[in-house]
Amino acid sequence: MTNEAAAATQPFVMNASFWTATVIFLLAYALIVSEKVHKTVVALFGAALMLVLKILEQKEAFHVEEFGVDWNVIFLLISMMVIINLMKPTGFFEYIAIKSAKLGKGEPMRIMTIFALVTAVLSALLDNVTTVLLLAPVTLLIADALEVDPVPFLIAEALASNIGGTATLIGDPPNIMIASKAKLDFISFIYNLTPAIIVIMAAFLFVLKLIFGKRLRVKPELRQRILEMDEREAIKDPLMLKKSLFVLAIVITGFVLHGMLGYEPATVALFGAGLLLLLSGTHEPHHVLAEVEWPTIFFFMGLFIIIGGVVKVGLIKWMSIEVLALTHGNMFATSMLIMWFSAFASAFVDNIPYVATMNPLIIDMANQIWPHLQGIKLLHNPELMPLWWSLALGACLGGNGTAIGASANVIVVGLAERAGRKITFIRFMAYGMPVMILTVLLSTVYVWLRYYVLKI
Amino acid sequence: MKAKDIMEQVKDHLSPDDTIRDAVNKMRVVKRDDGIVGVKGMIVLDREGNLVGMVSVKDILKAIIPFYMTMTELGEFTWEGMLSEMTKKVADKKVEEIMVKDVITVPEDAPLMECADFIVKHNLQRVPVVDREKRVVGIIYVRDLYNAIVKVLLNDKEVENI
Repeated sequence: MTNEAAAATQPFVMNASFWTATVIFLLAYALIVSEKVHKTVVALFGAALMLVLKILEQKEAFHVEEFGVDWNVIFLLISMMVIINLMKPTGFFEYIAIKSAKLGKGEPMRIMTIFALVTAVLSALLDNVTTVLLLAPVTLLIADALEVDPVPFLIAEALASNIGGTATLIGDPPNIMIASKAKLDFISFIYNLTPAIIVIMAAFLFVLKLIFGKRLRVKPELRQRILEMDEREAIKDPLMLKKSLFVLAIVITGFVLHGMLGYEPATVALFGAGLLLLLSGTHEPHHVLAEVEWPTIFFFMGLFIIIGGVVKVGLIKWMSIEVLALTHGNMFATSMLIMWFSAFASAFVDNIPYVATMNPLIIDMANQIWPHLQGIKLLHNPELMPLWWSLALGACLGGNGTAIGASANVIVVGLAERAGRKITFIRFMAYGMPVMILTVLLSTVYVWLRYYVLKI
Repeated sequence: MKAKDIMEQVKDHLSPDDTIRDAVNKMRVVKRDDGIVGVKGMIVLDREGNLVGMVSVKDILKAIIPFYMTMTELGEFTWEGMLSEMTKKVADKKVEEIMVKDVITVPEDAPLMECADFIVKHNLQRVPVVDREKRVVGIIYVRDLYNAIVKVLLNDKEVENI
């Protein structure tokens, strides 16, 4: 926290503004969980109330990092969406999917494994929802061709997408938010989370094989249908594909180097989006820009302001004192509490508002433990770092727990229903919850071993 | 001339509970005013005789194409025999699930220009004609309007020729 913000935080008193902000916060979260009103509408109205009731000054909401909209997150999300929107019509994703099915030689178990791997890798580099939306139609086609139930494939992809998304800074919104708040760069995420995710993914694939390996068998003549497909026919616009891959390569290189070069991730992504728009030669960017997930973007903006309000009045600080009291200031206990609580919380509620609340909570906690430290010294304190990674692992992997835990899950459930194969809440949970518990258990071992035993 | 002057009689209709198989059969055997057998679209009436939808050949084709193919470009990755497999899969689907529900209608005393405008604007092949109580009294087909135009043009020519 900067000195300016520290000074602006009101002394911790439970006055009228404290209660007003707390009530707005709790009501907003209750409404979001109830799904009675669209979450974006709730977030924007709640944010407006924080301003109208003078909990926050408009200047704080729009221009002060600690209390307001995190523009780094907003522009990173918008830019990545623009890049993907420009890339979609080239047929690149269909190409990858058909190619994967052929690599699987039409064997359902091999195809499921390869699709899960491809989903995980794509989700690590792009957003999970887009990845699942692009691969699921091909999955349904392949399942029809092989005359097998598409449901196991779809569930495996949703789970893989949440696991893969955990691996990088840009893979999942919680990581984007954590990176921005904790000032962590892309390489730190690769260095700290990717090894865990590689182990977790291997375990996940093993479990898939254990569950489905024997069940999925198809006739050789059906496999032939897959082998006869020519993935090259998927490419609709080879020139634009080359441009997209060129820009994507620049963006990924940019992410890898951004810490060294002193750029924020949003700068890198915005450069990519701008460059690809320019290279596309479009005179009508309206369509590409309209396809940005604006409701999600505005949800983030409203949420940041609501959180800003409760940070300013001291609610988050109070919560952090309570958490520390619970764990007696033991950092390992705190990080385990954060990981497991995050996992179960994210399994049932949106992990975006959850992480938006946890970020300032962790910073407030750090402020109390090390009152003499500030800025990067505080945020990157070696004892604090495992907390950030525990939050990321818990919040992202927790999404696998239930059908509503992550957007990717909601999407596959919807698509399966349209295909006439309803996935009930219980059926999803029968796969998702054990996978969530297994992956969080592996994360627990990882964090304990790496940060508290080996200390590397 | 008004809509009711050129419309054709309603020969048969579908009900929402009919299956796609029933619908295809009804559309195949019905006799038109001009004596030709078979139509490419039919209105759907509920038990009380209210217009609740319309089904055309295209709606049936759409029902057969799996929804995932419309989400993205997968036309190149289909296989020999897929159409007949998918057709068998949806044979027992109800008309209710595939019909167009917001049916555009014209009042029976609508001028022909109104009918022509509707048909072109909404890219229709046929438009039901309804009375004041919104009951279907007939159907105007593109060819009926076209015949009206042909009549005008050929009559004019005869006038010129004389």
